[in-house]
Amino acid sequence: MRSAAIIAVILTAAALRAQVDVPGEGVLPGAHMPKPVPIQSKNPFKPFDPAKYAQAVRALGGTELQVKRFVDDVEELGAARAGDDLIRKVWAKLDKAVLAAAEADPEAALLLTQALVEAKSPLLQAHARYHLSRLFLDSDDPERALAVLNDYLTHNLNVSPLDSEVAYFYAHSLAEIPMLDAAIPRLRAFLAWFPGASERLRAAAHQRLLELERQRESRLHMLADGMKKTWRDLRKRKTDRPVQLDQETYVEELSELIEMFEEMESQSSSAPSGNGPSSNPAANSALPDGEGSVGELKKRPSLADRWGDMRDSERKKIMADVQNTMPPQYQKMLEDYYKKLGKANRK
Amino acid sequence: MPVSAELKMLKFLQERVNKQTKQVEALGAEDQAQPADYDRVAEKQGRVKELMRRLAEKLGKGDEGRGGE
Repeated sequence: MRSAAIIAVILTAAALRAQVDVPGEGVLPGAHMPKPVPIQSKNPFKPFDPAKYAQAVRALGGTELQVKRFVDDVEELGAARAGDDLIRKVWAKLDKAVLAAAEADPEAALLLTQALVEAKSPLLQAHARYHLSRLFLDSDDPERALAVLNDYLTHNLNVSPLDSEVAYFYAHSLAEIPMLDAAIPRLRAFLAWFPGASERLRAAAHQRLLELERQRESRLHMLADGMKKTWRDLRKRKTDRPVQLDQETYVEELSELIEMFEEMESQSSSAPSGNGPSSNPAANSALPDGEGSVGELKKRPSLADRWGDMRDSERKKIMADVQNTMPPQYQKMLEDYYKKLGKANRK
Repeated sequence: MPVSAELKMLKFLQERVNKQTKQVEALGAEDQAQPADYDRVAEKQGRVKELMRRLAEKLGKGDEGRGGE
C-alpha cells in the first residue's frame, strides 16, 4: 500500500516536470474570495488523546462497550475514522445525516445542519461540521466548505480526532477555490503537523502539493483555475463588478499569451524545443475527465440528480423545513445550497 | 492548429462571456434578469474554462512526449 502511494507520487512528479514552461506570473481571480483563518507559525493542533476522547464520549452517553470497540478500532482504522464511528453510534441523528449524504440524498445538508444547530458540545459540533464541509466539497462548493471549516477551526479545535482531516480538507478547499498561495503552505503544514495521519490522506496531500506547484508554474492552468472560480460565481448568480474585473483579467492574460506564442511560432517553423506548443496535439476534441479530482477521496453519486428526481412535494418539504426550523445564518446557507442544486440539475 | 490560434478563439469566447455578464448584471439591476439568463452565462463561462483546461493539458502532454524521446 505504501509503495503504491510512493510510486503514484513519483509518477506525478515526473509528469509535472514535463509541463510546458511559459514564463510570467499568471493570473488568479480576486472576486468574492473567502478569508481563510490565518496560518499559525506554531502548530495549533495538540496530539490526539484517546483516553480523554473516550471520557468525553462517555459523558455524552457512550457505553463502555462502544468505548472499548473504539479503542480497538483506533489501531485498525486510525483515530479519525474510529472516533467518527464512535460518535455516530452515540448520536443517531448525525449517523442518519451522514448515511443520507453517503446515499446522495438531497435532504442530507438539512439533516447535517439540524444536527449542528442542536449540538451543544464542541465535540459533537466538530463531527457535524466536518461532515457538512465534506458534503459541500462533494457538491463542488469549496467556498461554503471553507466557511464551515473556518467555524471548525475557530470553535472546535483539539476536541476530536478529525483535526488532521480538517487540516487536509481546509487546504484542499482553498486549492479548489482556487487560492493557491493559501493552499500550498497549509498542505505543507498538514504534512509537517500530522505525520501520523492516514497514509491515504498524506499521499493525497503530497500529490495535491505537486499539482498545485505545477499549476503555480503553468499560466494556462492558472487561467483555467481562475475561469473555474468565475464559473462558480456565475452559477451563484454573481455578475457584479469584481466578477467582471476577473473576466477582464482573463482577456488581458490571453492577449499576453497570444503574443508570446505568436513570437515562439514565428521563430521556428517547427515546434520550439521544450518551451512551446505541442508537437503532438490531441487526436480528438474530447475533454479530459473531471476537474482536479486529486484529493477527492470518495466520489458520491450526484446530489443534483437526486434533487431533480424528487417529487415537488418532497422538495417543498425540505425548503419549508429550511425556512421554518433553521437559524438565519444557516437558513441562508441552505437556501443558496438547494438553489444551486436545482440549477445544476437543469443542465 | 497553432496554439496562438486556439488562444485567440478562447479570447474571443471569453470576451463574449464578459459582454453577456455585463448585460445580465444590468438586467439584474432593473429586476429584469431571469434565472435562465444567469444559467446561460454561467454555462458559457464553464465551456471556456473547459477549453482552457484542455489546451493546458494538451500542452503538458505534448511536452511530456518530447521529454521521453
